[in-house]
Amino acid sequence: MEPAELRTHAHLFDDYTELRVQQNRNVGLTMINGDLVRNARSVQGGVSARVARAGHWGFCSTPEVDASAMERVVGRATTNAKVLAGRSQRQGLGLPSTAGKGSYDRQTDQDRRSQKELIEFLQAIDAHVKDTYPKLSSRLLALTNLDMQKTLLTSDGAEAFSMTPRSLLYLEMTLEAEGEPINLMKAYGGLGQFEDRFGDPDALFEDLARQYEHLQNKAAGIYAEAGPKTCILDAELAGILAHEAIGHTTEADFVMGGSIAGQYMDKEVASPMVTLVDFAHTALGETCPVPVHVDDEGTEALDCTIIDQGVLRHYMHNKESANHFETSPTGNARAFLFSDEPLIRMRNTAILPGLSKIEEMIASVEDGYYLMKPGNGQADTTSEFMFAVTLGYEIKNGKLGRGLRATTISGVAFDMLKTVSMLSDDMVWTASGMCGKKQPIPVGMGGPAIKCTVSLGGK
Amino acid sequence: MLLDRNLAESCIDALKKAGADKAQCVLSVQDKSEYTVNAGKIDLLRTTENGSLTLTAILEGKKGTLSLNELDAESVARAVDEVIGLAQISQPDDANDIAEGGEPRSFDAGPTEPDLGAMYDRIENLLEYSKAHHPLAIYDQLVSDFSSTDTLFLNSNGVDLRERRGIYSVNAMFSSREGAQSSSFNYTGYRSRDTEKEIWECGSFDRLLRENGEQVQTETLDDKFEGEVLFTPDCLGEFLGTLTGFLGDGPLITGNSIYKDSIGTQITASSLTLHCRPTSGEIVSGYHITRDGTLASDATIIDKGQLLTHLLGIYGAKKTGGQRAANDGGCFVVEAGDTPLSKMIESVDRGILLGRFSGGNPTDNGDFSGVAKNSFLIEDGRVTQALSETMLSGNIAKMLHAIRAISTERIDYGNAIIPWLLTEGLTISGS
Repeated sequence: MEPAELRTHAHLFDDYTELRVQQNRNVGLTMINGDLVRNARSVQGGVSARVARAGHWGFCSTPEVDASAMERVVGRATTNAKVLAGRSQRQGLGLPSTAGKGSYDRQTDQDRRSQKELIEFLQAIDAHVKDTYPKLSSRLLALTNLDMQKTLLTSDGAEAFSMTPRSLLYLEMTLEAEGEPINLMKAYGGLGQFEDRFGDPDALFEDLARQYEHLQNKAAGIYAEAGPKTCILDAELAGILAHEAIGHTTEADFVMGGSIAGQYMDKEVASPMVTLVDFAHTALGETCPVPVHVDDEGTEALDCTIIDQGVLRHYMHNKESANHFETSPTGNARAFLFSDEPLIRMRNTAILPGLSKIEEMIASVEDGYYLMKPGNGQADTTSEFMFAVTLGYEIKNGKLGRGLRATTISGVAFDMLKTVSMLSDDMVWTASGMCGKKQPIPVGMGGPAIKCTVSLGGK
Repeated sequence: MLLDRNLAESCIDALKKAGADKAQCVLSVQDKSEYTVNAGKIDLLRTTENGSLTLTAILEGKKGTLSLNELDAESVARAVDEVIGLAQISQPDDANDIAEGGEPRSFDAGPTEPDLGAMYDRIENLLEYSKAHHPLAIYDQLVSDFSSTDTLFLNSNGVDLRERRGIYSVNAMFSSREGAQSSSFNYTGYRSRDTEKEIWECGSFDRLLRENGEQVQTETLDDKFEGEVLFTPDCLGEFLGTLTGFLGDGPLITGNSIYKDSIGTQITASSLTLHCRPTSGEIVSGYHITRDGTLASDATIIDKGQLLTHLLGIYGAKKTGGQRAANDGGCFVVEAGDTPLSKMIESVDRGILLGRFSGGNPTDNGDFSGVAKNSFLIEDGRVTQALSETMLSGNIAKMLHAIRAISTERIDYGNAIIPWLLTEGLTISGS
């Protein structure tokens, strides 16, 4: 789809105004034990306007995208802001502006695969899994693609187009162990349309064999011992820690709402080994999983170094919070649907790598756990966090031991990060999750493996 | 937006003409008005209108589904062709089907337009009330909205069902702060057909705000023990959602549900009776049409501990050989017990009052573990200190067999009516 033509509607703007045309296109295929139980596509699009007047916001959206719809949404959003302004006296917002411009289209250059070919891709993987691992009691495959396309014009001069695709393949395998189902899920893919993320199904088979081996070890595994332990959190867990436990507490709207991070600015909150950044679009020379060049308020998106060598240095901002904290917006205002208002959201949040090798990190642990794969996670405004751990191993005398059944880890992130004593020298990104905060939104999380002390929930 | 019946009828005709053996069309329009409070101030008035058209075609047992919100003639014609194409390339499956036809029915409930002035006043009153009665409370976010949704469900078997609902909804996330100390955040919400009551009088609002203020100062446990857990209605509602998740299509089709062979057996203590009552007047955000296009009716899921039904849809029922459920679940009504809450607390030697559980999704075998949030220690029959960094683990199936008491008091959230529940045998550990 071409960018929407918005400039001709700029005359509608009286107050600070954002006008956004957006379309989200989804493909969803799900196969359970060889049966295609979901074969669906969806499109959700429309236009929205957000207007600021006298310290209040008005918003309006409609699925129609034509000149009269643009006029209607700008008019109604303005009226909504006036209604609020009529009920309470407040100073104007004084929104700081670093207007972004540009076109960022990540549509594939390759010939598009048909949905039939996508189904055949799943069928080939399913057939391989069924034939190679006959002991599985069930198998589930899900393929999703989300193309998020936005065109934005703001009254302070921002003008941007983006098409940001994400393609993911989920595979869940289940084994029966002592009459109980034990499963393991792995997500593949990330930024890009299917053609840019996946080739032949065979390319996945080697990793599938590793996943099956992990599942067997988990099925034969033990329950973690409850309580604090020395652990190596592998990169995926470090990423979710960066996102959930630190990232959310340093979103400026949460800080204004009472987050504990409000008391820690310029204070030591982590080991000096820890630097944590919310990257806008590029990290260490590579494109991030969820690149944001211009956010949905029209701000040029910049990296936000949240923790620099153990010291809390920055919060993530939209225009309003930047005004409140007398700083610059960071480009973190993002909306999921055309009908959603932009909120302060993370983009690609990561702990930067260190100098150690994962092997020497494991060897340094006398009695602890190597925790490899997260499930869901939550964190508090106090930075107290909880993550499910779906794959892990015990470490005894510096060596990996038995597999672990599912467990959870928890702690207070700003305490726990002070226990970090080693960071691996590699970095892994994941982009399979949706962050929830009134609206869902795709986010990237990354990090190295980290050695720390953390509490486990046992049996 | 107005619902265009002709559009839905023309879709069914077009799908049949294009070769669909079975065709289904769900057309929905929604208008929504919403106030948002950020950092304690009414910050945003948002109005949205949207439409949704979901088409399903089945050809020779092969199924395709397409959803869109562009409802102009050209987009809809393209969608008809596309969904036929999706069905043609799909896999045949005898379990793919649509609902049997019946008499046309129409349901209408709730206002059609919001009272925006009253919604604003209720929020302002809450903010003033909180200053006076819960001075430590900070609203991270509060959303008060009204939505009017009109849905028409047609299929080629003659299903013709329509439902319009107008519902007010309030959801809040809040924490408390005193000096440098902060509580954990908590959240709550309710549904209503009107704005007659003040927000703090609805659901759990007032109690949770008060308790949150008492959670600014917390202590951690320094031991691990097997103890009793008193679930608040707020927390129990989420566990009931997890429990009924084991009864749906996915886990029963994969065979991973711990309750796959449990119909007619005792899956909880006999004190628990759980209904899903989407059509009952008790539940203001209920529904009369299932996702498959059948007429919903109220059902008892667990009767005195015995599992009476799974929550299978048409596909799941055909796939597993089970019986299609009377409804899609949710709209929980848990029958009140015979023990006053105060007596339940008095009966606990050592355990916790569980306000919120921040945990991983339970494994397929029902094991769960996570953090007890917004919770208090109970010792010698008294609620004592607020807790932090307290882990809780157990197994849902075992926990429900070990229920000791259910309260006479219940909380009505508008979308569920739930009591307190006391169980035992869960592992509680400090940091």
